[in-house]
Amino acid sequence: MPTKLSRRDFIRLCAGSAAAISMTGFLGPYLSEAVAAGAPPVIWIQGASCTGCSISLLNTVHPDIKKVLTEVISLRYHPNIMAAAGDLALQEMYKVAEENAGNFFLVVEGAVPTGANGAYCTVGEENGHHITFEKLVTDIGKKSAAILSFGTCSAFGGIPATPPNPTECKPVSKVVKDVPVINVPGCPPHPDWMVGTIAHVLLYGIPELDTFGRPTMFFDKIIHDNCQRRQYFDNGIFAKNFGEMGCMLELGCKGPIAHCDATTRLFNGGVNWCVKCGSVCIGCTEPQFPGWPMYERMAEMPVGPATSVTVDQVGGVLGAAAVLGIGGHLAGNVATGRIGPKKNEEEKEGDN
Amino acid sequence: MVKQMEDRHSVWIRFCHWTNMIAITLLILTGYYIHAPHAFRLFSNMDTPRTLHFAMAYVLCFGVVLRVYYAIAAKDAKNIVFSLKEDTPKFPSMIKYYLFMADSHPYYGKYNPGQKMMYTGWLFMALIQIITGFILYKPDMFMALGGFLGGYLAVRLIHYIVTWLFVLSVLAHVYLDISEGIPVLKSMFTGKIPADFDHGTHEEEVKADGGVSA
Ligand code: HEM
Ligand code: SF4
Ligand code: SF4
Repeated sequence: MPTKLSRRDFIRLCAGSAAAISMTGFLGPYLSEAVAAGAPPVIWIQGASCTGCSISLLNTVHPDIKKVLTEVISLRYHPNIMAAAGDLALQEMYKVAEENAGNFFLVVEGAVPTGANGAYCTVGEENGHHITFEKLVTDIGKKSAAILSFGTCSAFGGIPATPPNPTECKPVSKVVKDVPVINVPGCPPHPDWMVGTIAHVLLYGIPELDTFGRPTMFFDKIIHDNCQRRQYFDNGIFAKNFGEMGCMLELGCKGPIAHCDATTRLFNGGVNWCVKCGSVCIGCTEPQFPGWPMYERMAEMPVGPATSVTVDQVGGVLGAAAVLGIGGHLAGNVATGRIGPKKNEEEKEGDN
Repeated sequence: MVKQMEDRHSVWIRFCHWTNMIAITLLILTGYYIHAPHAFRLFSNMDTPRTLHFAMAYVLCFGVVLRVYYAIAAKDAKNIVFSLKEDTPKFPSMIKYYLFMADSHPYYGKYNPGQKMMYTGWLFMALIQIITGFILYKPDMFMALGGFLGGYLAVRLIHYIVTWLFVLSVLAHVYLDISEGIPVLKSMFTGKIPADFDHGTHEEEVKADGGVSA
């Protein structure tokens, strides 16, 4: 049995070159011990999401996800992987939340649709009435010790909240107030970010967060500063097409503005990450994702309702206008004798 | 022929003018390379223009602070700061003059309202560039501010739009100043301008104190 792992070692493990070891594998025994000793249970609910975050979690290897779910985390409710369904499952969740009020953690995957009183996302029935996801999040969330918003949708709104957003999706932190919220963005998040954050809250409480509520142990690095293609950027070698060598900036890479540690952690059990496999970084961990053009370096400039143009187009037109204006004015200046040969003779008269 | 000369620009004004001009020009040139390295082939790598950009960023900060301090300390602000109340009414006569609808214009003070507007605008544009630039330079230090302004991509867009504004306004500035007469251009080097240079018709001056120049 493992002895206690200090918080410092834990952070070092999370922030370090985690590719070498599987974090879940390493943390497993400590977490099992904590769970056996009565660590708080975890409830996982889904709203406006694609289930990608859960799929990403299921990609946890070493130990396999079965072991994680049965031994490492005391997961009491998960819509995709639990056997129970319907009223039975829902009642069980309410019961767990009631019995452990103030002492369980709520994982939310997906944004919260608030339009039409939440009618765009219902999760069950109660006395013949729909239970909206908005109500579920609020009811269960208020009782939890902290909410873990997994994935960019629940952390910042993500895809469902991108304009025009007819369902009025909102991030969890805008719906449930007065409860600490930890944002673990990513589209989807790396399994280590999710398991690591759960581990931290279970073992040590809420981790250190940045301005946007992201645990700094995973999100304090800028992709661009750690990218394997950075040398290309510095040398001014830019790929013009996918598949070419070079920095992906011109193809729309958001590495210079994106925070995550995928460059060293690597996805799919340590195999690869976004730029290394020839894609651009789409900045999936940032609050504004995906409200920007994926494969363009710079967004266009809004000039009217549903109309935008590139800054270069506006600048070019104004520049041409300026050149024409200058040419016209210059011609006028010469014609009226304000400058040129006439000026000297008539300068003093003032009424030429 | 020895001309009677009078002072126009103090040495501090000239110093600020040329450091800011160099900084802004280099910032624009390096900025365009950083923006479009394929289309704007002025450099052969990213290191040089980025280093220059960041160095000139500090020069610009220094130049802006010095110029603002001078404007306040030497009471030069009234010459260059656009005043909505005092300068707006002077616009029609200036526009008439520029459109050749009038042969002369009243005496406006050291600068006409259009120039004042541009110079005041530059202060704000420089401040916008400094703020957005430093957000991009140290994204983690200014994360909250970046988020407040709409995220890093919006910050980048603002930084780029204002770059264009600089290009366009510098174009107008250079033309208008040169077309006003070579002595005006020379005065930014020597500090002096011929005493009989036509600054406008004094009789038409509306307010006595309105713009008596330094
Ligand atoms: C007149 C002032 C300035 C002009 C005209 C200017 C222009 C530009 C332009 C055109 C870009 C490329 C934008 C893009 O495509 O993403 C850029 C990038 C940048 N600028 Fe400026 N800039 C100015 C001042 C500043 C200042 C004061 C700073 C402060 C540090 C700054 C920091 C940056 C940074 C960090 C970048 C991104 C470069 C990179 O990470 O590769 N700029 N600038
Ligand atoms: S590929 Fe993207 S993250 Fe990598 S160096 Fe280029 S811009 Fe930066
Ligand atoms: S590298 Fe970019 S796209 Fe990939 S996970 Fe990180 S933020 Fe998302």
